[in-house]
Amino acid sequence: MGNSAKEQQELKELRKLIFITGYKGGMAHLASCYSSLEMIYTLYRKGILRLDRKDPKWNDRDRFILSKGHAGLALYGVLLQEGLITEEMYKSYLTDDSAIGGEPCMRDCEWIEATTGSLGHGLPMSVGIAMALKMNHSEAKVYCMLGDGELEEGTVWEAAMSAPSFGLENLVAILDCNDIQKMDLVKNTIGMDNWAEKWTAFGWNVFETDGHDIEAFEKTIREIPQNGKPTFVIAHTTKGKGVSIMENNPNWHFRLPGRKELKVFKAELEIDDSELE
Amino acid sequence: MQSAYIGKLMELAEKDPNILHILADSGTGYDEMFRRNFPDQIYNFGIAEENMVAAAAGMATVGKIPFVFTAGAFLAYRSFEFIRDDICFQNQNVKIVGMGSGLSWSSLGPTHHTTEDLAVLRAIPNLMILSPATPKQVAACVELAYKHQGPVYIRIGMNREKEFFEDPYEITEGRNDILTVGDDILIYTTGSILEEVSEAAEMLKKDGKDVQVMNACIIKPFACPELEQIRPGQTVYVVEEHNIHGGLASILAEHVAFNGLGCKIVPIGIEDRFAAGYGSIKQVRKANGLDAVSIYERIKSYE
Repeated sequence: MGNSAKEQQELKELRKLIFITGYKGGMAHLASCYSSLEMIYTLYRKGILRLDRKDPKWNDRDRFILSKGHAGLALYGVLLQEGLITEEMYKSYLTDDSAIGGEPCMRDCEWIEATTGSLGHGLPMSVGIAMALKMNHSEAKVYCMLGDGELEEGTVWEAAMSAPSFGLENLVAILDCNDIQKMDLVKNTIGMDNWAEKWTAFGWNVFETDGHDIEAFEKTIREIPQNGKPTFVIAHTTKGKGVSIMENNPNWHFRLPGRKELKVFKAELEIDDSELE
Repeated sequence: MQSAYIGKLMELAEKDPNILHILADSGTGYDEMFRRNFPDQIYNFGIAEENMVAAAAGMATVGKIPFVFTAGAFLAYRSFEFIRDDICFQNQNVKIVGMGSGLSWSSLGPTHHTTEDLAVLRAIPNLMILSPATPKQVAACVELAYKHQGPVYIRIGMNREKEFFEDPYEITEGRNDILTVGDDILIYTTGSILEEVSEAAEMLKKDGKDVQVMNACIIKPFACPELEQIRPGQTVYVVEEHNIHGGLASILAEHVAFNGLGCKIVPIGIEDRFAAGYGSIKQVRKANGLDAVSIYERIKSYE
């Protein structure tokens, strides 16, 4: 298990791109982006999502819904690296002519399957998409990524209850389980984080994996059984992965580095001053 | 009204297999008829309105045309953000239908009353709003909602509303229905309360007044060309089973101000409070000054 040199290089480039773009824009959920990055990369770059590059709205495409929309810069970054959006679009982030913002928006890009940003919307929408695909006898799958803080939203559980009852084996919910939410650790906020027990009890297949290990994550996704049940993948991650001072630190949910901290970012992400101008 | 709704929906569902009847465990006795005829086009999400609304938006992205049906209050208030973000912002082809407009759920009290739905939902861009008064209008609204590509809200009463229109009835976009023509008193209304308004108009006529009753079925996009020629200073009595803030009276007030029309508006509705009383629709309308006699007396006090 692990990540190849090429993958490591591409991920490094993405972390650098996300930081530079977010820093120049003046706002970004960097830690959340770095938490989700390897998984979004694996879904798009390792060919798990069946897409038609020429037709973003192909009926039988797989769908990816980023319910934790604040990792939008990671999703748009992977779309750029995959050649689905332009560099011009990505770099317009928070400029006077912004084509994208901090959360994925269908209005802005035809590769975005659902507009998210308000938590607890992605999984219910994914349930509807999976139901409609099932009605159409389509083989397409729906992948929905949630944050573990997001699981405090009630609609996640309405959707969690409905998906098995509708027999949505074409639905895969991926939990970016980094143990941290905006103000504190998830376990300090809501007490219990026994997700595997909860989702198993709700009638889902449940698997656990490492959300930063591409090979392990890919294997987990590719081996999902078709047994009539939806699947919940608990991907353990590190919030802020890739920058030492940001890793596992709740203070970094929604902020950019100050002058001293910037030195650490630049050193660890190998960024020159000229790239931040 | 429910029978008219399901009847028209079944007619459309037969022609278009993409039409789905979506419920949150708050349907009517007619749903079984739909299920018998179209078992693959009906889904009950259980008591989970937000999940239902968001899922309907998801279904629409795949080309389905969900008609989401539940109690108006649980739809308009509980699911508000899901209607806004998932259906309207994404401009999905979903029709949301609130059963029990105004005081229809008269025996259950304000948790079930739908007396602020126009106020909250009309603030959302992309949403067409329809407020039928009679069974024929309900059927016409379902047809119009189906033909309209995009989000639509239909609020319907549930108290065996009388029919005031003749066959064939069609909604004409951009104008209101005029039920009686008269010069002295102009009453403008929407939804099921038309029944009380008609009775009040009859009482006024007996007093020798010439009464015009005008009915708005399409609340948004709003149009009222009938008022273009209104006499300066004339009064328009707006009767609605809705808070006087944010409903038809407010919409008309905006229209009058925005267009520099010179009329005066007297709102007759729920006076910015939660409705009083329990009982039959007649009892609760009376308790809130919205039965025919109260409407008649209120108008008479101004004339």
